[in-house]
Amino acid sequence: MTKYIPYLLYLWLIAMHQVFLADVTSIFGAKINLAVLIVLLIAMYKKEVTATWFGLLVGLIGFAGITEISAWQTLAMALIGLIAFHLKEKMNLDSLFARVSLIFGGVLVHNIILLLLEVNDNLFGSIIQYAITGAVYTTIIGTIFFLIKDGIFTFEKTKTIF
Amino acid sequence: MNKISNLFTRHFRNFHFIFIILTIVVLFAGEKMINPFLNQAVATVFYSPFSKMKNSFLELKSVSEDNALLSQALIDVSMKISFYEEASLENERLRTILGFHPPQNYTLEPAKVISISGEYTPITATINKGSNDSIWIDQPVINQQGLVGRVSSVSPDFSVVQLLTDPSNRVAARVVASREMGIVKYNTNSGMYLDNFPIQGDIAVNDKIISSGLGGVYPAGLTVGTVTEVIKEELEPFYKVKILPASNFYSLEEIFILREIIIE
Repeated sequence: MTKYIPYLLYLWLIAMHQVFLADVTSIFGAKINLAVLIVLLIAMYKKEVTATWFGLLVGLIGFAGITEISAWQTLAMALIGLIAFHLKEKMNLDSLFARVSLIFGGVLVHNIILLLLEVNDNLFGSIIQYAITGAVYTTIIGTIFFLIKDGIFTFEKTKTIF
Repeated sequence: MNKISNLFTRHFRNFHFIFIILTIVVLFAGEKMINPFLNQAVATVFYSPFSKMKNSFLELKSVSEDNALLSQALIDVSMKISFYEEASLENERLRTILGFHPPQNYTLEPAKVISISGEYTPITATINKGSNDSIWIDQPVINQQGLVGRVSSVSPDFSVVQLLTDPSNRVAARVVASREMGIVKYNTNSGMYLDNFPIQGDIAVNDKIISSGLGGVYPAGLTVGTVTEVIKEELEPFYKVKILPASNFYSLEEIFILREIIIE
């Protein structure tokens, strides 16, 4: 049972981000898509079933605070988790570029799906303004995460800069 | 039972995907029935604590901003109240002054006290009128309460008034009731007193003391003070008469210089 606690914490983290941090950390309308970022990270480091279930739960829970629960959202997130897992199987995950590309692609796809579900007019403009910028922003956060996880970016190294 | 367990283990992945697909199908099918309920439950469990925290934070921020605004407003209001209180007191003083008439053959030259000096008691006061306003040395100075002193030095724009509290100042005075005379002096230790008042004279507590007009500086009839104590000491030919000054030398603000009308 305790193995589910981290996932519950991730869900709370996503909820907290949606309520508190998303608006505060947005830059010119571009927001960090933490929900997809976490689903993609789970897909990279956990099993196929876990990634799909977690994607489904994030689709169910992660957006309840901002919109009504949408079956399409849930389906999209579950599929992102599943597809990301299978893509990662074909990729060399030792490569930072491969991981970053997977993050960028996954976030961009999800952002476009969000816009398709919510935006009615000027979809192309919205994709450029929000989807791509949001994907770049989230990818930067993801890259920082990988750099820390790989030990390339450490507190000691940061201290030496100053 | 074992068969079911083995079946589940062998088809673990498939069972999970069937559940996932079923969940999504239920969400699609029950969009109007299940989803609002689910939305409510999810919002309560996952979002409500953070929403409450956010609202509390925003409320606190708003209270803090209100507090800053109210503090500023309070300072403004306090300053206005202080200004109005000062204006009200000045108004009261000026109303009293309006009904105030100078002694005969004198005109009043109003002036403001700009500084007072003296170590323990005020001894001199600087006023904002000088020789440019026809102020000269030895002109008597009064306020609505009574005699204040005399002009002791003059510059073009300012003058210094020697107050009755200066021990070197003297006023020839008389008791209003008995018309008997003495000299009003000031001693730093015992305060204002009437000197040279013979024990044969008639004087009592609460008698009013006015200037006698003798001595050439102060005109007759200006209120100097009120008798507070009459002490007769053995073998002394004079009474020791203590006086409460009519003017409050600690709160001088508006004063008048008495300017004599010279009749040719």
